[in-house]
Amino acid sequence: MLMEEVKTPKVKVVTVKITKSFVKPWLGIKYLFKKPVTIKIPYEKIEPAPKYRGFHTLDWKKCIGCNFCGQICPARAIEMTWIEGEKRPHPKVDYGRCTFCQFCVDVCPTGALDHVENYYLTTAGFEEDLELYDWIPIEPKKVQELNEKFGDYRFPVERIEKLEGNTYRYHLRDGDIVEFKILGYGLKPPAAAKPASKKVEPKTKEKKE
Amino acid sequence: MEKVEVPRELKEEAKAHDMYLYPIEKDTYELFFGPQHMATENFSIILKMDGSRVEKAIVNPGFLHRGFEKLAEQRPYFTNIALLLRICVPESDVPENIYSMAVDELVGWEVPERAQWIRTVVLEMARLSAWMFWIFGFGNELGLYTAGQWAVAYRERFMRLFEELTGGRVYHIYTIPGGVRRDIPGDKWLRQLRDTVEYIKAKMKDFDEILFDNYIVFERTEGVGVMDKKFALDHAVTGPNLRAVGIDYDVRKDDPYLFYPEVEFEVPILKEGDSLARALVRRYEIEQDLYILEQLLERGPPSGPYKVQDARLKALPRFKVPKGDAYAHVESTKGDFGAYVVSDGSHKPYRVHIRGPSQSHGVTVLENLLVGARLADVPVILKTLDNCPPDIDR
Repeated sequence: MLMEEVKTPKVKVVTVKITKSFVKPWLGIKYLFKKPVTIKIPYEKIEPAPKYRGFHTLDWKKCIGCNFCGQICPARAIEMTWIEGEKRPHPKVDYGRCTFCQFCVDVCPTGALDHVENYYLTTAGFEEDLELYDWIPIEPKKVQELNEKFGDYRFPVERIEKLEGNTYRYHLRDGDIVEFKILGYGLKPPAAAKPASKKVEPKTKEKKE
Repeated sequence: MEKVEVPRELKEEAKAHDMYLYPIEKDTYELFFGPQHMATENFSIILKMDGSRVEKAIVNPGFLHRGFEKLAEQRPYFTNIALLLRICVPESDVPENIYSMAVDELVGWEVPERAQWIRTVVLEMARLSAWMFWIFGFGNELGLYTAGQWAVAYRERFMRLFEELTGGRVYHIYTIPGGVRRDIPGDKWLRQLRDTVEYIKAKMKDFDEILFDNYIVFERTEGVGVMDKKFALDHAVTGPNLRAVGIDYDVRKDDPYLFYPEVEFEVPILKEGDSLARALVRRYEIEQDLYILEQLLERGPPSGPYKVQDARLKALPRFKVPKGDAYAHVESTKGDFGAYVVSDGSHKPYRVHIRGPSQSHGVTVLENLLVGARLADVPVILKTLDNCPPDIDR
């Protein structure tokens, strides 16, 4: 009806003719006898695509603490953290802010920061869980091992325990523990980070005086 | 009905803002339409009603205001991609692409052919998934929920393809200045896309049966919210809404970009300018988009790199753009979408302006078209104009 007013097609295009019909809408009933497209969660599940942008992993040995990830982050979710026993700061990712754009992974010059397909960002609602999604990513090997064991794409850490003296204990899902002491945040090393140099500084000052 | 005594101060305030209906006379009353109503998505309209007729409509946006343009001035060039795509959620690839194209022009990069091909395919896929989402909204506003449910199920296929290509389902963050972020996952993905195109093509018959050929659609939309040519041109109407008035304007034809000059397709035009014409133009465009995708897939992706080979891309946070300004625009399902980027030579843009179609469709045009419409026609007019609330509030 309205199709006549459309310009005559120059190219071979499949065109449809829209006509007012009273009968045709009832043809949709045939879908009653077809299988539904929805799936029954949790009995069925869809696997995320490979390279789906999920949680981060960090190879602590490769990380050089250049803060490229912190600079590119659109949500400013990354904070460089000084850890006892590590020469360079490592990124701490806050998933309350992270938009999962994974630009940080793209810019990482050494390939230390990477991501896995794990995407479940949920908590049970306890107060202690609120601190769960603010972590320093752990080794990719460990996350892959956990994925192979559980395969449900949840957060690899079950509970983050804060001990005295700024020591954090990550309780992984398989019972393993990652424990480290955070000395400070920011790009410059905190005063406590280099106890040796701290001792040296006052000495030089004294000499100058 | 008892008359309610309203304090004088409130009266004056209401009159000053022209927001609240006062005085309550005869059958006139004020109706807050949205933001809970599904048709309005994320903005609201204050309707001054006389019985079931709209006397005056005042659009009340601002629920999604995040200040995109100002925020974009405070972030490095590449970071802005993750921000600006939130301007149009159903087809987030459009803001990505216009911004990337403008920055490409500023830097003077010639995007590799393969990247251009991927960008065109992504844009067309975004258009199709946005059409599916539009069918969902349009069907629901008319009370034909079945069509809506189907459309969302078919949109899921495109989301799955996007997930495999880009790593994200809704916010793809895929197109970057200088190309795209990842290569095509492989021939399997291309085959899946071809299958999906075939599948949607077959399923469009069902949509015709249940939605577009349906007499209910004709009854509800014919002669509702009529626009004429002069009105459309005065109010900067673009996209399918302009084509429903009878004006032949499509950015893909009139200012071709990416791979569109090498693809054959037709721009459907109708003359009526009512809601039915607007809906049918969109129906015909789905056909054209499927045809474009078919041609692109037949051609196959050109070989070569998917990203510009430039050493500057290795130090993204401090990536600097030479002084200048650039404008790029594409045809989205909502209309003409453009980005204007001004650079002062630093690593952050001096100014980013987004020209969105919803600013005119969702505010001035809508306010004018709603006058005299029935209350039941409000969602129909709203959905056939097809605006994007975050774009109004940007």
